[in-house]
Amino acid sequence: MSTLVTVDWLVLAPALAPVLGVVLVLVGDAVSPARRGGRWALPVAAVVLVAGAVLALRGSLLDPATPLRTLCLPAPDGACLWTAGPRTSTLQAGVLLAAAAALAVHHDARPRLRDTTVTATLLLAATTGGVAVAAARDLGTWLVALELATVPAVALVVLRGTRAAAHGGLSLLVTSLASFALLVLGAGLWLTATGDAAFSPESVAAAWADPERRAVLVLAVTALVSGVGFKLSLVPFHAWTPQAYATTDLGTTLFLAAASKLSAAAALLVVVEALVGSAGSVVVVLLGLPAAASLLLGTVVALRQDDAVRLLAWSTIAQAGWVVVPLTALSSDGLRASAGYVLTYAAATAVAFGVLARTGARSLAATRGLLRRDPLAGGALALALLVLAGLPPGVVGLVVKVLAVAAPVAEGVWPVAAAAVVAVVLGIAVYLRWVAVLVARPGEGDEPAHEGSRARSTTVVVVLGTAVLLVTSALPHALLGGLG
Amino acid sequence: MVVSLLLAVPAAVGLWLVSGGRALPVRPARWLALLTAVATAGLAVGVVVTEAAVDRAWLPELGVRWSFGTDGISVPLVLLTVLMGLVVTAHAWVEVPAGGTPATFLGCLLLVEAGALATFTARDAVLFLVAFEVVLVPMWVLVGRYGDPHDPRARTEAAQRFVLYTAVGSTTMLVGILALVAAAGTADLRELAGGAGAALGPGAQMGVAALLVVGLAVKVPVLPFHTWLPPAHTTAPTAGSVLLAAVLLKMGTYGLVRLPVATVPDGFGRLAPVLAVAGALGIVWGGLVCLVERDLKRLIAYSSVAHMGFVVLALASGSETGLQAALYANVAHGLVSALLFVLVGGLKQRWGDVDLAVRRPALRETSPRLGFALVIGLAASLGLPGLAGFWGELLAVYAAWAPAADRPRAVLVTCAVVAAVGAALAAAYALRVAGLVWAGDRPDPEARRTADTVGVERWVLAGLAGLVVVLGVAPMLVLSVTADAVATVGGAR
Repeated sequence: MSTLVTVDWLVLAPALAPVLGVVLVLVGDAVSPARRGGRWALPVAAVVLVAGAVLALRGSLLDPATPLRTLCLPAPDGACLWTAGPRTSTLQAGVLLAAAAALAVHHDARPRLRDTTVTATLLLAATTGGVAVAAARDLGTWLVALELATVPAVALVVLRGTRAAAHGGLSLLVTSLASFALLVLGAGLWLTATGDAAFSPESVAAAWADPERRAVLVLAVTALVSGVGFKLSLVPFHAWTPQAYATTDLGTTLFLAAASKLSAAAALLVVVEALVGSAGSVVVVLLGLPAAASLLLGTVVALRQDDAVRLLAWSTIAQAGWVVVPLTALSSDGLRASAGYVLTYAAATAVAFGVLARTGARSLAATRGLLRRDPLAGGALALALLVLAGLPPGVVGLVVKVLAVAAPVAEGVWPVAAAAVVAVVLGIAVYLRWVAVLVARPGEGDEPAHEGSRARSTTVVVVLGTAVLLVTSALPHALLGGLG
Repeated sequence: MVVSLLLAVPAAVGLWLVSGGRALPVRPARWLALLTAVATAGLAVGVVVTEAAVDRAWLPELGVRWSFGTDGISVPLVLLTVLMGLVVTAHAWVEVPAGGTPATFLGCLLLVEAGALATFTARDAVLFLVAFEVVLVPMWVLVGRYGDPHDPRARTEAAQRFVLYTAVGSTTMLVGILALVAAAGTADLRELAGGAGAALGPGAQMGVAALLVVGLAVKVPVLPFHTWLPPAHTTAPTAGSVLLAAVLLKMGTYGLVRLPVATVPDGFGRLAPVLAVAGALGIVWGGLVCLVERDLKRLIAYSSVAHMGFVVLALASGSETGLQAALYANVAHGLVSALLFVLVGGLKQRWGDVDLAVRRPALRETSPRLGFALVIGLAASLGLPGLAGFWGELLAVYAAWAPAADRPRAVLVTCAVVAAVGAALAAAYALRVAGLVWAGDRPDPEARRTADTVGVERWVLAGLAGLVVVLGVAPMLVLSVTADAVATVGGAR
């Protein structure tokens, strides 16, 4: 085998860590079944994920010119199926840590014992897909990894077993099937247009130069953007998001909102990276329209939500638009801004869902006066919301918004910049509305914080997430420096 | 180093007061806030005297540096800000509004001060924007939580309106700054002012200038964008009103000088006539509203709109005198409005409301010290010679009368005439207020007397009134500081 491709196991470690976790959990379950009372599956999985994240961060410090490569074909072709530069490595670490956070929230929710192994296995499998898709540079790996990141998530939603969860799972399943079909179509068209099974800028440039192949390539990009748009919750492919978020448990919601979005964004970055430098204004329109629609629809609907989870679901849709805004510039600065944005969003969202899990609040009204009843949870939630709104003291939120707008402004994509301006203002209204509830005086019936003692691992997630937001707010370079 | 400390001290203490030290009782919190304000003032003097600066890498991705320092344009505003920091923290001995813990209230005041200092010392366009945004959330808390306790709905609305209007402005400005930075290739304000911005093509200059002017006009506020100001002032607690009028509005005019005027002078020059007309209309409109307004706090808010009209008109004139007038009028309005808001806040605390339609005993008889401060404030507001307000208005009208060569003279001269009429309106409404409040009715022996000012409030009022007189007598104190820096600003000819 080594004659055909070279394999560097350490480079593959971020994806192999969750695989190892799956093996450990399954073997362990065979030896000592969880339904007899073992509660070790989720902690073991979390440890493996954190170890994988540490290994992934190794690549974040590298020079972008010399990324970690492996699974390389022999010369003269020399293409590598796995290429992880600093940006990819940091995104991988983000996926792994977000999945670990989801596991922690699951752990505190006291799932039925027979579910823990299944939950851990599904989560680890989806994480493997998410990590792999970020580094995939060929159509086959990319497609398989992206599906691996999605399908277990559908099962996680259904696992709860309620009728509502089944509905949520069903809509998610139908959506992901449709998106899979689109992605396969897109991949086929891409192959037809470029004659290359890898995402390489050179073959895209060659295809773009030929008008006939360009038309096919545009069609391919349309299908691929739509397919990833489902997973990223871009309007008009967003309809499953609020339903799935609201019907499943918070651990899974956190996974969908943070880890899945990171994987989807990483997948989109792989496609757009190949288009940078050659593609023209048609692609800008293809990316700009869903971005602007998500920004506007997501924030406007979020403005009317009273259910905390639904508000965060619609805010996810708006934030997905923000992730795509810098990509419309089709520049390498735009790629970095997009990665920075999605990482910041994931950290803030993880903290927000962590707080909801810790306090048990599901509506805005239930968080009334949280800043006084439970200063840790209230403070963390307020900071996370301000980061999402892009207001100091959540400086990192403002910085990534500035970077996100800077890319299209530098390239003169004014309509997207205009939509972003409107979305900033509406977004501030959305998040400050909730912050106002948090800082309000507690009502008569509100009891002091509860569940605080039981939700230990969730508290760890909240504290660590808040620490990340604070550090990156003071030194935004700590985040952006790891993106090349 | 000293500059970083100047920003870090109020920011750190403010953050601690709103988070960890939230439950601190009022007495230690008050002393802590006051001592912080004193230390900040000391540091500010140190920065101004030593001309300290700091410059390190902060966000290399966007070419943004952690670059703070002062020059002639920012020195008066930095000193005004630390002075207002002292005023509002000292004012906590007079009034700490209900609505939350006293520590949070004082922490928010310090955070606003820190944000304003960062805005006035930032030497980088993007950093300026970040600093500009820092004041939003604490000010929102001050208005929304600690504002007028009678009407929670109005409070929420005023706070929301303040945040959203300002956010529209700053986001528009953000796009302008990013376009400028992308085209000029640097975010350093000194390089941009030194010719990097002027190198842009005429179309780009015009576009950037339009975005920057519209964005900052919301904050100033210039006439069609002013509607957030009166409700915010009416509901904000006294200390919040003082900061809003004396510091936050100045961030808008300072931004106009630093960004469009200095970096894209030709683009700004083409927009200047529009700005001049908006300024002149603001003067007249503010004056007319003040003639009929019943709520005294709202009346002073509208008079701020009128005074800011003079500043904008002076900026639009494009001459060096105009810039000097704008910077001077900025400081003068800061002092006068602070004096008036402390005074009216005190009256509101004593009377429960400041409705001018309610007949009350004459202030000059029941509480002569309050009455005297009111007369000084109103006189300065109407531009009486010998007080601070006079020089700003005089220089502004003069600058508009003799604008720079490339400005349309007819438009600006017309605006100067309109502004002069507006100044007469100011005299009319100031006399109206003086007649109703100061001269008032003969005291009814049955009516409760208005307690006169004592303790800290007296010293705060005396200090502000004294400064208003000093600046009026010796305007060169400010003008000589700004003169050199103004000469180097690209827009001035």
